[in-house]
Amino acid sequence: MKRILPLLMLAALVCTSAFLAVQTVMAQDTITKLAPAAFGKLTRPPAVFNHDKHNEKAKLEECVVCHHGGADGKQDKTASTEGTPCSDCHKVKPAGKATSLQRAYHKQCIACHRAKGKGPLACGQCHVR
Amino acid sequence: MNAAYEFVTGPLAWAAWGIFLLGSGWRLYSMRQLAMKKDASSWAFMDLGFSLRSIVNWLIPFNALGWRKNPVMTVTTFAFHICLIAVPVFLVAHVVLWTEFFGVSYATLPDNVADIMTLVVLAACLVFAGRRLGQKEVAYITTGKDWLALVIVTLPFLTGFLAYHQVFDYQVMIIAHIVAGEIMLAAIPFTRLSHMVFAAFTRAYMGSEFGGVRHARDW
Repeated sequence: MKRILPLLMLAALVCTSAFLAVQTVMAQDTITKLAPAAFGKLTRPPAVFNHDKHNEKAKLEECVVCHHGGADGKQDKTASTEGTPCSDCHKVKPAGKATSLQRAYHKQCIACHRAKGKGPLACGQCHVR
Repeated sequence: MNAAYEFVTGPLAWAAWGIFLLGSGWRLYSMRQLAMKKDASSWAFMDLGFSLRSIVNWLIPFNALGWRKNPVMTVTTFAFHICLIAVPVFLVAHVVLWTEFFGVSYATLPDNVADIMTLVVLAACLVFAGRRLGQKEVAYITTGKDWLALVIVTLPFLTGFLAYHQVFDYQVMIIAHIVAGEIMLAAIPFTRLSHMVFAAFTRAYMGSEFGGVRHARDW
């Protein structure tokens, strides 16, 4: 029995992490629209975004390309923050020089699409009715 | 399509704003030179008080006799000009672009209100067109230049409405809308739309002459 208990605990730990990992991957898989609750009532239809398909098409391997860190309005492209909702750092109405949630999304998507010469740029291309 | 969008929102937008601002400045300057040469006496009776008096009185709906004589035109033209300026300036989508490009942000109109105001502009354009066709004294003095101005103004609002509602091909429509808006901006100094630049001075001229020379009201 003394040997089984640590084994059980280990098994439980492995199962929990696996469950969480699967859930995260499943969550990514089911993301088709960007409509964080923080925005409340939306002005436009939510931006269409299929996480996995997008990254496959854009050949994005590193999470940090989008999920960056940073503080005081300065991006830190070395600190990966996947799993943290954008709205945790980017407030809808930020204080001081921080980037607002809407601006963060627009900047993140459009700046990259512009730089790569691929992907939507105009309002209605993402905010599809 | 991205290259086309980049072009119309980049170099073409700068060109349109440049033509609009520099062209308007040049039209004002050359008109001033022309007036000083051909109508020098008018400079003597230009008066700030009489000018403002005339401008303010004509800015109030149904205040001037001219407004009271033409109620349909009065309602249409006031609604048209208010919507014409307010919609493009305070539209959410346009303010987002100011934020994207220059980091500035300001008050916006709710989308559904802007939508109705766009329809008001389009309806007013129809009234103006009907007036040019059906009202004898207006039809008599209507030329191609008047129709050109009307078409130039109608197109940005029509394409903007269709792009917003994503009717037809969105990517084509949004580029058409941007180009139509840029044509309108660039056309302001050089078409009938130049009354945007001249209207206040025309009114000031009339107000000064009526106030200072004829000692009468011009509204």
